[in-house]
Amino acid sequence: MSSLQGYVDRRVLLVLQDGRAIVGKMAGYDQKSNVVLSESKERVYSMEEGVEEIPLGLYLVKGDMIILIGEIDEEIEQSVDLSTIRAEPMPPIRY
Amino acid sequence: MLIFSVFKTLTDQQVTVELKNDLSITGTLKSVDQFLNIRLDNIKVSDEARHPHMIAVKNCFIRGSVVRYVQLPADHVDTQLLEDATRRGDNSTKAIVLTLTIKNRNAETLKFHYG
Amino acid sequence: MDPSSSSIQEPFDLIRLSLSERVYIKLRGDREVTGVLHAYDGHMNLILSDVEETILIVDPDSATEAPVPVNVAKRKMDMLFVRGDGVILVSPPSRA
Repeated sequence: MSSLQGYVDRRVLLVLQDGRAIVGKMAGYDQKSNVVLSESKERVYSMEEGVEEIPLGLYLVKGDMIILIGEIDEEIEQSVDLSTIRAEPMPPIRY
Repeated sequence: MLIFSVFKTLTDQQVTVELKNDLSITGTLKSVDQFLNIRLDNIKVSDEARHPHMIAVKNCFIRGSVVRYVQLPADHVDTQLLEDATRRGDNSTKAIVLTLTIKNRNAETLKFHYG
Repeated sequence: MDPSSSSIQEPFDLIRLSLSERVYIKLRGDREVTGVLHAYDGHMNLILSDVEETILIVDPDSATEAPVPVNVAKRKMDMLFVRGDGVILVSPPSRA
């Protein structure tokens, strides 16, 4: 398994099958790549306004739903003002 | 198994992974597993203006099942070897990995080994 | 008996005989590719070189049963892995 070990305790971005983006600290994961995030937030993208962050707290995301896990570079993250970013939500996966 | 082996020989090479949501991510292939899940380093998303979602992401894990294509570096793929291995229905991963890995090493290393 | 057909017993044999030949692949999502086939496996994962992809842009609002492509986009790639779950058909080279 191309392991998720390196992501534990790091701030990560999860991209889900339906295009949702969730950020949080990876608290843990298992064999089926189910992931537990702490201090998590959903980032809602739209063309009408800046990125809205919805707090979700401690969150378990089913592995099947996750299409991508990205490690967030804190330095770049800090330099980005989310309120200025306008973009369509990520498209859902179409099989 | 054969395809898994091919990806293993391409670790540390630059690839472009296109997902089934049309997102294209270029990066250095760090690892791959039997499900063809992929780990990429130093990633760059194509058309970043339209897809700013991953702006602060430097490396990522991509679920194999959501991959549509992977663009490979042609000069690191031995097509003759692939065809032979495919014809044999090859499952001897080790042989393929060894052969391809040796081929991908630069001439300097070989010179060192063979004097 | 035609010697080329005698070695075809099952569908995958047809693909095996297409190795190192240019093949046509129809994919999900209104996509087609042509390229030289170098490897495949039982999932129909494929590795192709000298690839041309064609994306048919269809009008989703079209009321007709079979939507007609309104536009096509083409691009070329040197060496491409195609994941098998998107493959609808693999067609061997036409014997001209």
